[in-house]
Amino acid sequence: MGTNWKKMKQGAVSRSQIYGLLAAVFREEPNAALVDEFRNPDMLRVFADMDVELGEGFYNAPVSMVAEMLAEEFTRLFIGPGSHISAHESIFAEVDGDSGSLWGTTTVAVKKFIETTGLTYREEYTGIPDHVSVEFEFMQQLTAWEADRWQRKDRAGAQYALRVQQLFLDQHLLPWLPQFCDVVIKRAAVPFYRAMAELSKNYMEFEQQYVTTDAAA
Amino acid sequence: MKKMNRRNFVKLAAASGAAVVTGAGVTQNALAGSIKLEQGGLDFSPTTGKQRQAIPTACWQCVTRDAMIGYVEDGRLVKLEGHPDSIRTMGKLCAKGQAGVNQVYFPDRILYPMLRVGKRGEHKWKRISWDEALDLVASKLKPLRDAGTPELFMYHYGRHKASQAATMYDFMAAYGTKTIGNHTSVCEAAKWVGQESLWGGMYDNWDYDKTDYVVIFGSNQFETHTNHIPTSQRLIRAMVDRNVPLYVFDVRLTNTAAKANQWVPIKVGHDGLVMLSMCNVIMNEDLYRKDHFKFMRVTENYHDSVDEKIAAVKANVAQYTPEFAEKHSGVPADTIRKIARGFAKADSACLVTYRGTVMHYHGADQERAAMLLSAITNNLDRAGGRVMGVGASWKHPSSPKARIQKGLHIKDGFKGEAAYPTHHVSHQILPMIKDGHEGRPRVYWWSCYNPAFINGDNKETQAIMQDEELMPFLITSTIVYDESSQFADLILPDVTYLERWDWEDMVSANQIAEYYIRQPLIKPLGEARCQGDVWPELAKRIGFELAYSSKEDFVRQSCEMTPGVREAGGFEYMKKHGVWHDPEAEPNYGFYEAKVDVSGDGIILDEKTGVYWDYKKAGVSKSEAESKGYLGVEGAKNAYVAQNIDGTAYRAYPPNTSFTKAGYLDFYSDNFARKGLPTFPTYTPIPEHQDMAEDELHLTTYKVAVHTHSRTAHCKWLTEIKHDNPGWINTITAEKRGIKNGDKIRVFNELGEITTTAYVTEGIYPGVIAISHHLGRRHSGVYGSGQSSPIDGGAAADPDVANIWWKKHGTHPNAIIPNSSDPISGTQRWMDTVVRVAKV
Repeated sequence: MGTNWKKMKQGAVSRSQIYGLLAAVFREEPNAALVDEFRNPDMLRVFADMDVELGEGFYNAPVSMVAEMLAEEFTRLFIGPGSHISAHESIFAEVDGDSGSLWGTTTVAVKKFIETTGLTYREEYTGIPDHVSVEFEFMQQLTAWEADRWQRKDRAGAQYALRVQQLFLDQHLLPWLPQFCDVVIKRAAVPFYRAMAELSKNYMEFEQQYVTTDAAA
Repeated sequence: MKKMNRRNFVKLAAASGAAVVTGAGVTQNALAGSIKLEQGGLDFSPTTGKQRQAIPTACWQCVTRDAMIGYVEDGRLVKLEGHPDSIRTMGKLCAKGQAGVNQVYFPDRILYPMLRVGKRGEHKWKRISWDEALDLVASKLKPLRDAGTPELFMYHYGRHKASQAATMYDFMAAYGTKTIGNHTSVCEAAKWVGQESLWGGMYDNWDYDKTDYVVIFGSNQFETHTNHIPTSQRLIRAMVDRNVPLYVFDVRLTNTAAKANQWVPIKVGHDGLVMLSMCNVIMNEDLYRKDHFKFMRVTENYHDSVDEKIAAVKANVAQYTPEFAEKHSGVPADTIRKIARGFAKADSACLVTYRGTVMHYHGADQERAAMLLSAITNNLDRAGGRVMGVGASWKHPSSPKARIQKGLHIKDGFKGEAAYPTHHVSHQILPMIKDGHEGRPRVYWWSCYNPAFINGDNKETQAIMQDEELMPFLITSTIVYDESSQFADLILPDVTYLERWDWEDMVSANQIAEYYIRQPLIKPLGEARCQGDVWPELAKRIGFELAYSSKEDFVRQSCEMTPGVREAGGFEYMKKHGVWHDPEAEPNYGFYEAKVDVSGDGIILDEKTGVYWDYKKAGVSKSEAESKGYLGVEGAKNAYVAQNIDGTAYRAYPPNTSFTKAGYLDFYSDNFARKGLPTFPTYTPIPEHQDMAEDELHLTTYKVAVHTHSRTAHCKWLTEIKHDNPGWINTITAEKRGIKNGDKIRVFNELGEITTTAYVTEGIYPGVIAISHHLGRRHSGVYGSGQSSPIDGGAAADPDVANIWWKKHGTHPNAIIPNSSDPISGTQRWMDTVVRVAKV
C-alpha cells in the first residue's frame, strides 16, 4: 500500500496546531483573542466531547474580565513572587546539587538541542530556554517541518523529523511534563489552567503513541 | 477528562489551528530562524561538548567588592573565583563571593515586573510589562516634579557604591529630589563621624604588610569585615611570616580572637575606655612618640607647643588608669599595661576598630579614642599603621541637574537626636515618616535594601510600610521577595550583580589604588533589568535626558574619561582584563606631611587657627575674611589650603567633610564643645547599662563569615553552612538561669520576645547574650526562610528543596532591639540593648 502523503501531512499539521495552542496557553497571560477562541463553538464542541471543563465563569463573564482573572492566576501560578510553579524542565528534571536548578544543566541541554536544529532564541524572548512553552513551540516547529517534508513527498526527511521529535519527547518533554501538569492540576485555583494541564498531560500520552507508531511507519 | 483519540485529536487540532491562525497563538515566538536538519545546527566542541568563557568581573556580595573571574559554560554561570591580577585581593575570593552563583539561579527569584492587585501584604500580584511599569512610575513622579515638589519622591538604598551609586545620584539630581536615604547608620556611621571630626576624611585601612603589632577592638577581621579579603589575608600573612603579634579585645571568642596571641574578653561598651587607659600608660611611661603631636590639637588653643600638647594629653587621660579601666571594663590592669607597652614600642602598629566598638552610645567618641592612641604613637597614615584608605578615583559623565532641588528633612533623625549625622540616621526614616512632622514622601522607592528586616524594631517598620495613608505608593527594585517587598505596590525585577555593568573603587590594602569593573557574565534572567538601564528610560518618560543611554554606556564613558585607565586602553582594556593599577605608583602614606605653596592669589593666613585659606574661593571680600576669620565664614572649610605649623604650610588634615575645622587632628573639638559633647575623647558610660537589674543581660549582635545582613539567605550553599543562630551565653550566666547547652531560651524585653537555643560557652563575657543578625527570615525564598514566601510549599517542585536537611532557620534579634541613636553620630546602637533571658 502506498503512502498517503496527504494524510501524513495532515497528521503533522494537526499536531503542530495543538502544540501551537499549548505554547500559547503556557507562554504568557491570555489575551482577549485567546479567551475568545476558547469560547468559539468549535472549541466548545471538542471540549464538550472530551469533558474539558473550563467552568461557567469562563464562558459567562465578559472577555476582558476573564482575561484579567486569568492573568492574575497565571502570575500566581507561574510567575510569583512566592510559591509558584517554575515552568522549566530543569526545575523538574534534575537535582544537580550544583549552582541551581533554575537555568540548570538541563536548560543548557534543551537549548543545545533546539539550536542544533538550526533554530535560535529570539533576542526579544525574555524567558528561560527550557520553559514549557518553548518546548511546545519547538515541537510545533518540528511537526510543521515534518508536514513540509510530507508535502514534498520526502519520506526520509519526514521520518528523520519524527525521529528528532521522538528524541526530544523522550529526552525532554515526556520525562517532566506529566509531573509539571500534576502540580498545576493540584495548585490551580481556576478551572482553566487545571483543564489545560490535564489536556497537556493527556496529549502527551497521545503523542507518545503517535510518534512511536508513525515514526516506525 | 476523556482520553484523547484520533477523532477528538483531529477536532482539537482543527480548533487549535483556527485559534492560532486568528491570532490567539503566542504573541511572540521564542524561537527564530528555520529548521535546517539536513545541514545541521550550531557546532559545539567535539571533545567536551561545552563552550567555556572566563570573564573578569567584580563581586557584590558584600561591600568589599572583590575583583573576580566568572566562568560561563554554555551560557550558564558555573563558577566564581578570585581575580589573579588583582592587587587588592591577590586572587582570593571568600565563601560568600563564591556562592554568588546562587544569587542568579535560585527558584524564588523575581524575574518580571509585578503590580500589586490585592491589599498590601496580601501577596496578590499581576505580571505587567516594563513599559507598563515605567509608565506607571512616570505617572507618579512626573506630576511631583512638574509641581515643584520633587522632594516628595524618596529613594532609599542599601548597598549602592561606585557607579551603581553614581548613576542613581545622577538621576536623582536630574529629577530634583534630595530625599535620598542610605543605610550607613545601621552599619558603621559612628566610626566615620569619629574619624571625620579628626582627620577630615574617613575610611581607615591597616597596613598589615608593614606593621609590627596589631590590636583589634570589636572587629572579627578574619571572618567578616568591610574590606575582608584584602586585609585578612595580609594580617594572617604578617602573623605567620613575620611573627607579628595580634591582640583581640572582644566580648566574644571570635574566630579572629581564636587566632590571636591573646583574646582579651571585655565588658560590652568599654573599648574606648581601655584605649584611653592604654593612652594613660603610654603617656605616663613616656612611651609616646612626639612626631605626630605637632599635627594634633588637644586644647582650645591652636598654638600650643608640642610639650604643652603632651602635658594636656597626659592630663586628659590621667583619670583612666589601668586600675580604673579594669574596674569598669573587666580587663585586667596588667593586660592593659602589657598591650599598651607592646603597641607603643613596636616600630609600627595597627589599631583596628569596628562595629563592636562604635555601635554604641557615644560610639563616635570611642573611635576618637582609637585615633588618639594611634596618633600619640605616631601610627597614623604612615607605613605599618592606621592609614587613610586609597581607592580608585573614577571620572564619569554627569547629566544636567534639575532647576529645583529639594529634600524632606527625614534623613537625619528627629530633632536633637544626633549632633553630627553626617552619614544620616537611616533607621529613623520610616519612624519619621510615621511621625509626619517633617513631611512624608508620596512615592517611596527602595533598592538593594530591606528596611523591614535590617533596622531595629522591625515589626514596627513593617506596620508603617503596610499603611497606605503613611506611605501612598511603594516601589522596590529587588531580586527576591522579602520582608519589605511584600508591601510594595510595584516590584521591579532587578538584575543580580553578575548580570550588570559597573566600575568599582573599593580601597586597597596596599595603599595603591585599583581600578576595576564589573561586567555581565550572562544575559539577565527573565526580564530583570539593571537600574542603570532603567534611569535613562524613566527620564525620557518624565521629560528629561541623561548623559548616558545605558549602564554599559556610563561605564564605557567613564573608562574613556578616567586618567590612567584611558591610556591603558579604556573600556576595551577593562573588559578584557577587569583590573588596572598604575604600575609606577608607590604606596600612598603621609598625605598630611605634604608641604603646600601658599603664595597664590587670595590665600591668607587666619591668625587664630593658623589656617591658610582662599577667601576668594570662599566668596567673601578680603576685609570680610579678615574680620570674620576662617571659622566665621560659612563654607570657608571648602577654601582650606594648608595649616601653618611652626612656620611651615602643611596640607595636614583638611576638613573634607561636613565638619568645619582647622588642619589639625581635632582631639580638642570645638564642634563637639558647641553641642555639649566631650571636647576630648572621653569614657562615657552607656546610660542603659547603669543600674541594670541582676537578671538583665547585654544583647549584642554580630556577623558571620558566610552571610551578609539581609542579601544572602536565599543562597543555598551559604544557608546550608549557616542556618541557625543560637544565643551565646557564658557558663556562669547560664547556670544562674538553669540553662544548659542546647536548651530553648526566651530572650525578651519591653519590645517583645524571640526564642532560640542556648550555646553555653566560656567563649563569651559573662552577662552577655550574643546572637548573629542574619537569620530568622520570614521571607527570602525557600532556602532562606524554609518557606517559599509568602506561603508554605517551597518553590514548587524544585527538587533541591528535598535536599534541605536542616530544620532550623534562626531567629532575628532586631525584633527586640529598639531604633536608638548615638547622640553624636546618629548611628544605630545595636550593642546597647538590655534583655532578660529565661529557659523555655
